[in-house]
Amino acid sequence: MSDIVLKVSLQELCVQEGITETMLIEVVEHGIVEPYEGQDSDEWMFELSSVHWMKKAIRLYHDLDIDWVSIAIVIDLLKQKDALLRENECLKKQLERFVSDTADIRWK
Amino acid sequence: MEFKDYYKLLGVKPDADAKAIKTAYRKLARQYHPDVNSDDGAEDKFKEVAEAYEVLKNAERRAEYDELRRYGGRQQGFDQGHGRQGRQSSGNGQFEDDFADFFRSAFSHRGDRSGGFQGYSDFQQSAARGQDVEVELPVFLEDIIADVQKPIEYRMPAFVNGQVTEVKKSLKVKIPKGVSDGGRVRLKGQGAPGQGDAPNGDLYLHIRIVPHPIFDVEGHNLLITVPIAPWEAALGAKVNLPTLTGKISLTVPPNSQSGQKMRIKGKGLPMKNGVGDLYVIFKIVIPAQTNEASKALWQSLSDLSAFDPRTEWEKNNV
Repeated sequence: MSDIVLKVSLQELCVQEGITETMLIEVVEHGIVEPYEGQDSDEWMFELSSVHWMKKAIRLYHDLDIDWVSIAIVIDLLKQKDALLRENECLKKQLERFVSDTADIRWK
Repeated sequence: MEFKDYYKLLGVKPDADAKAIKTAYRKLARQYHPDVNSDDGAEDKFKEVAEAYEVLKNAERRAEYDELRRYGGRQQGFDQGHGRQGRQSSGNGQFEDDFADFFRSAFSHRGDRSGGFQGYSDFQQSAARGQDVEVELPVFLEDIIADVQKPIEYRMPAFVNGQVTEVKKSLKVKIPKGVSDGGRVRLKGQGAPGQGDAPNGDLYLHIRIVPHPIFDVEGHNLLITVPIAPWEAALGAKVNLPTLTGKISLTVPPNSQSGQKMRIKGKGLPMKNGVGDLYVIFKIVIPAQTNEASKALWQSLSDLSAFDPRTEWEKNNV
């Protein structure tokens, strides 16, 4: 059984992603991810969902050669898309429960 | 190693200038980047395009590649012309070895950062750390509340005898309290092995709750649709309601509407601090068949009642 971790510190994240603290602070300053807790940057702790978005942001930064402002917009839209997809899935399931039993009645 | 025509991959002419190559790469990268395109095959296509750009963006590597490309093209033409099967295969084999060497040297400067492409100068050196692995883990709703260890099996890249290959790994994981659909769990050191003494990567689990036959999940709340008869809706009733922790007695209030919601506190999924709620949604169901006696009763209700469910239409002049 290995350690289950739900939060990551700034320093650990830098080592893990192979990025500098300056770059990580820039990612936070652009609002791409927010620390879950901690006032100063060396106290910052991130939730794992933030780690997921941060990984995406860093990949996009290098692979697409675009600036952080554009990446912040892309990530924001991707987050919105994810939330909408999930909401849509949930509403669809609820709707199915509500209407699926009703047989289609044809208008003659 | 199979020879790849990088110009063709990027859709540019072999004499394209650096700017045209960059533009072509950017366009294709935006289209196929796995972080913005979840279609099957997008990631492979992006990898090919990125590989081509990695070589063609650098003048020195591009010149080296052009040389090999000419060599490869001539070899193919020569062999095809003569149709000597034996020579052809040995010729191509030599060429392919050269290409493999070139490929290795062109990419040897790269690190081994997880996910995507590596070797950027503004990155700290973390070359030997194992890759992180992300796995989607389907979990039954019942497993979220039970104290069970869930077996998982996943594949990850590993270095075996100097070659990158895929290895299978199995583990048992207990879903931590408070994790719901879409939640993430990190297992330290359970990702791809590091090279030499370097640490292993981590395993990231993305929790997805398997659709349940009765309950729907919204964050830490659960939803249940409760079918009720029209007279139960009108007069009120007591219903035996299933919850994740056993049945409870639910009071349907008189005059309940179809689609009406009721909240039952603390019968949802566990959170870090507390428990979510269970939402009941009433659905009025009419019997599929009606006997004469019931029909007569419905008829007398209809004669007695002045209820018009469509007054909204009149107000709006529809």
